[in-house]
Amino acid sequence: MKMFGKLAGGLYLVLLYLFVAGPLLFVIATSFNPATSFPARFEGLTLSWYAAILQRPEFLSAAGTSALVAALASTVAVLVAFLAAYALSRRSGGAGGRGAMATLLASPLLVPQVVISLAILQLASAWGVGTGFWGLVAAHAVYVMPFALRLILTGLARFDFAVEEASRSLGGGWLATWREVTLPLLRPSLVAGFTFCFILSFVNLPLSLFLTGPDTATLPIVMFAYIESRIDPMIAAVASLIVLAAGTATILLDRFLHVRLVD
Amino acid sequence: MPELVLSHVTRRFSGHTAVDDLSLTVRDGEFVCLLGPSGCGKTTTLRIIAGFEHADAGRLTLDGADITRLPPEKREIGVVFQSYALFPHKTVAENIGFGLKMRGRPKGEIAKAVEEALALVRLDGLGGRYPRALSGGQQQRVALARALAIRPRLLLMDEPLSNLDAQLREEMRVEIRRIQQSLGITAVLVTHDQSEALAMADRVAVMAKGRLQQMAAPAEIYEAPATAFVGGFIGQVNALEGRVESDGLLVLPNGTRLAGQGAGLLPGAAARAMVKQERLSLSRAEPAAMPNRFPCRVAERIYLGGSIAYRCEAAGLSLTALLPNHPLFEQFVPGDEGWIGWSAADCAFFPL
Repeated sequence: MKMFGKLAGGLYLVLLYLFVAGPLLFVIATSFNPATSFPARFEGLTLSWYAAILQRPEFLSAAGTSALVAALASTVAVLVAFLAAYALSRRSGGAGGRGAMATLLASPLLVPQVVISLAILQLASAWGVGTGFWGLVAAHAVYVMPFALRLILTGLARFDFAVEEASRSLGGGWLATWREVTLPLLRPSLVAGFTFCFILSFVNLPLSLFLTGPDTATLPIVMFAYIESRIDPMIAAVASLIVLAAGTATILLDRFLHVRLVD
Repeated sequence: MPELVLSHVTRRFSGHTAVDDLSLTVRDGEFVCLLGPSGCGKTTTLRIIAGFEHADAGRLTLDGADITRLPPEKREIGVVFQSYALFPHKTVAENIGFGLKMRGRPKGEIAKAVEEALALVRLDGLGGRYPRALSGGQQQRVALARALAIRPRLLLMDEPLSNLDAQLREEMRVEIRRIQQSLGITAVLVTHDQSEALAMADRVAVMAKGRLQQMAAPAEIYEAPATAFVGGFIGQVNALEGRVESDGLLVLPNGTRLAGQGAGLLPGAAARAMVKQERLSLSRAEPAAMPNRFPCRVAERIYLGGSIAYRCEAAGLSLTALLPNHPLFEQFVPGDEGWIGWSAADCAFFPL
């Protein structure tokens, strides 16, 4: 009976992992399949689809655009999230109504991305400016900020604010205190927040669909446009590379900063 | 000379006054303990002295200079925190050298000062460790060394021993006192533990509800409490309420008269008599020399190791006598009859 329970538990775990990772594994497998359409039977192993990406400059430039948007949006998001989380977590002199404040700051999580995009479009037109590249960055920053906030709040919950006072009493001004004590101690959550935001922004389609112009095509947009016209395993190769990059970042974080993005 | 003066310092938080018109002076080289129950304002007072809290009213001077508005990093005051607040990402040596690094001192000088500080707290050779690799007692010593390495004008300690176990706590009391004496540094320690305050301090400042109750040498605080609060807070006491009949005489509601001492109490005033438990005598023979003596019955015996507490019923009162656990003292069991008594000198009257 005990044996059966263990077996059932093990089987459940395997199925769960398959459910989560199965589609990814299928996409990765497809990227090595020489067949020219998919889904298709496996016909062997090839790297030609990866080589094919190099023939499509729009993918490379879109990846560059995505990376730039993600980097800028994540920087803004982490900065805003850090300042907000710091103010919310301080023992004395902190903002009142911190529960309500935290919920308000996390609200972009609850708003459909379509709505965020529409709101930014409306705002841009009301101000009479184009959305363009910076509109895209702003939308991404708004969307990813709550994720950074969550991670940084968790980091701050374990932070003993007395170390800041210790630093002050030892002669460190507030700038030196942040540089020497606060930021180094919060670095894991800041880096984790940035990485998480970067990944979320890099792979985001809905926001970009609304706000992208011809000069600001992000990678998901180009991929989306590509599969609208045809489906071949090259798109699986692109997807595999994204998975590889995100996976590597997650593992590096866990290894070197002991931060879990996925708990 | 580093003399700290607080004049009429007040600090209000929303709804209550944490520190209420507090004035006190810590003399050069003196070790003062701020003692009081939790919420009495002692930690807020310490934080105001350190510069972590501002005073809503009043003035602080150190060395004769006004420091009321000076930020903490300009005060040259060393602080030992209850949680130690060591920098977990820095080694012991980096922790201790932090204050000197902030002052831009050359590396060689910092290294030398760190060595000296480590030797002072007897942690030689542990400079390369990280705080998490140290025991609680060692972390405590590092926190002390770090605060002292800047050669502060004043050393503040906030409940520094409360996270240590009993034996280590006794040891660190002696150690902190030794270091304070050897450096001749002016020090203020906050504690809720009266035996800690009595054992360590040159003078004890007892606080209650944000106000200073009494500031005096330990023996005076214990033997001659200035207020009913101090009388009841320090040591273990029997308290009896009644009305003053004449100078040195109190009548309890049941008609019992007590002889005691209380200055400035007018006849008819409500007052509380206080007598420390160990100043009560319990004997089988009548203590003829004592003005306050009553036949009693032992109701309860509490064995405390070094002493034995007897709760006795006498003249309708419940009184506790604390007797040394020593062959020279008579032993009783519940139900025994005897006499309980105390002198007028040990019985203090306080206005209510």
